[in-house]
Amino acid sequence: MNESTRRYATVSGGFVATVLLVVLVLSLIVGAGEGVQYTLDSLAYGSLFAVMALGLALLFNVMGLMNFAYGELIMAGAYVMFFTRSWGWLGMILMTVLVVTILSLLMELIAFRPVRNASPVVLLVTSFAVSYGIQQLAWTDVFGLAHRFDSTIGTGPQKGVEPYPWLTNQFDVGGVLISRLEIATWIVTAVLLVGLTLLLKKTTLGIQLRASSEDFRMAQLTGVRANWVISAAFGITGVLAAGVSILYILRTGAVAPDIGQGPLFVAFVGGVIGGLGSLGGAALGGFVLGAIINALSATLPITLKSHTQLFAFLVVIAILVLIPNGLVSIRGGAVKRLWRRVRRSPAPAEGAA
Amino acid sequence: MTALRRVEPAARVVWPPLALCALLVVTWALVDGFGDVVYKDTAVRLFLTLIIVLGLQIFSGNSGVLSFGHIAFMAIGAYMSALLTIPPDIKKFTYLSMPSWLGSWILPAKLSPLEAILAGAGVATLFALITAAPIVRLAGVEAGIGTLALLIIVYVFDVQTSAITRGTSTQIGVPQTTTFVSVLAWALIFIGVAFVFKQSRRGLRLRASRENVRAAKSVGVRVSVERAVAWVLSGFVVGVAGALYGHYFVTFGPDDFFFNQGFNIVLLTIVMLVVGGMTSVTGAVVGCYFVTVIYEAFRRWEVNGLGDVRPPSGTGNFVLAVILILTLVLRPNGITGGRELPWPGDWSLEPLRRLARKSGSGSGDSVAAESAK
Repeated sequence: MNESTRRYATVSGGFVATVLLVVLVLSLIVGAGEGVQYTLDSLAYGSLFAVMALGLALLFNVMGLMNFAYGELIMAGAYVMFFTRSWGWLGMILMTVLVVTILSLLMELIAFRPVRNASPVVLLVTSFAVSYGIQQLAWTDVFGLAHRFDSTIGTGPQKGVEPYPWLTNQFDVGGVLISRLEIATWIVTAVLLVGLTLLLKKTTLGIQLRASSEDFRMAQLTGVRANWVISAAFGITGVLAAGVSILYILRTGAVAPDIGQGPLFVAFVGGVIGGLGSLGGAALGGFVLGAIINALSATLPITLKSHTQLFAFLVVIAILVLIPNGLVSIRGGAVKRLWRRVRRSPAPAEGAA
Repeated sequence: MTALRRVEPAARVVWPPLALCALLVVTWALVDGFGDVVYKDTAVRLFLTLIIVLGLQIFSGNSGVLSFGHIAFMAIGAYMSALLTIPPDIKKFTYLSMPSWLGSWILPAKLSPLEAILAGAGVATLFALITAAPIVRLAGVEAGIGTLALLIIVYVFDVQTSAITRGTSTQIGVPQTTTFVSVLAWALIFIGVAFVFKQSRRGLRLRASRENVRAAKSVGVRVSVERAVAWVLSGFVVGVAGALYGHYFVTFGPDDFFFNQGFNIVLLTIVMLVVGGMTSVTGAVVGCYFVTVIYEAFRRWEVNGLGDVRPPSGTGNFVLAVILILTLVLRPNGITGGRELPWPGDWSLEPLRRLARKSGSGSGDSVAAESAK
């Protein structure tokens, strides 16, 4: 067992352990009766953010980019779904995946490729500019898309994708209400996560991606082509974003130019808490934060709910200061350190990885 | 000639701030003399955002740590200053549920404009002092998220604690005391402050830590202390900007100090700083002018049209984004390359030639090395 596989094995071990822990805590929070219901719902919601955080972490590791324009991919997906809503669900999904992936690749080609070697701050500001530009395109509707696609709902910014009744209707399974959408969310996110893991572990591209995320320059020296790897990373995040977009919009229904921002913040913060330095950690962080937010918003009394976010972000600052590498990270996050202590194995030197 | 030579070293030191101040005064004189109401409004906005960008420059420019959180100081300055200046008769009706330990001294308070600005900025400074401890320990992306969390905390507080902030409702009865001249005066003062801080011993240590944290630590620079000083100072500067903002726009709410769709003050101030060149005060001023001029020119065009051409509303924002990307591609270190305005005797066409040959990428202060770590 070489070093990197062991690392991934540990991360996925931690992942499973934490998922179980979250399920347990959530069930305890909401009590036995309704617990299962909320837990299942939170699991679906959390796994959406796990996929999002994974996309963010992939780009962050490969090219040091904290991509704020990621939320706009979700938004673009929402609009594609809105425009193609009469094409039937298969056409809608295919079109969304296609357009969002192409948009992601274009983003890299036009905006991020020229500034690739600039400082992370410049990269960050570039991603702001991209996000801002795409959002403004949506607000102004420069290409007159709303007319061309015969928008019947109105020309205002707020539009909607009508939910499919067969998808959102809940049916009773042993006292717990489950909708097909929820099941679809679990399956799709699981497929995306497993697929990405396989891609990263088994294919040449995956090895190149992992090598680049550990040391980009060194990977280039050993013959990994930078353009190819970064384009691939953007393509993968595009597919992930399309998946999130479809599931998220089918869930909420609303389509507006700024819908990308809310989920982006959750994924962003969750990713950092989990540890953006490792893909598994980021996914875990996004999952946990998404699940907790969903559970809290369903269970907290109104009087407490108003200030929840305030305390949540205080906790975020505390985690950043006290556990700077995140809960799971390749250089020894909190969970891994605990795991190591439990197994009484000697800790490797700091920064050795 | 010899006399001139003797004062040259001193003149070189004070030249960039004086030139920048002159630029501001000329802007003021032109707009005040020839501009209409719309131009004056634009110029006041320009100076207000300039103060914020200067505050950001003091912290981010010198330390290399990016902050999304400074607008929180602005919100605190604006709310505090407004609370202390709204006439007590109005406050009695708009703040019915204010807790008594606050209401006992806030409700009867009626401060003069300057006192209120200083009080507002003072509270912002206090908040900066409290938050300095965790923030100075962060760098890179973590700092971005930590400061973003700070901004969200203040925003949620503003929205939810309606007994003190009126929640999402706008303020009523804030006196409009901010004038064109007062904004100009504060902007001039803060250009001086930013320069003095940058050149001071503390500023030098902080800039050293920006270039290389480990090297700076090894020669005895206490990085977190230096960062904390800059953080608190910039908190004061942005707090003043917030108070001025409150007394200029009079009706404001929490959304003025958060990500919003029109003029996104959180992102645009950062964009101004980076586009101008974050390591120099000149960069802050240039970036502020550059972004404002493009933004306003397009907004004006959308409203008035030029000939028969009138772009759809919102095009300006999109073009702004495109120009920003272009600027960052062509000048990754900002328009000024992160350097101060050169002494007139040193002016040469060499940088232009280099740009024409497209081989130079700016050799000034570089944030790249540090912020990567």
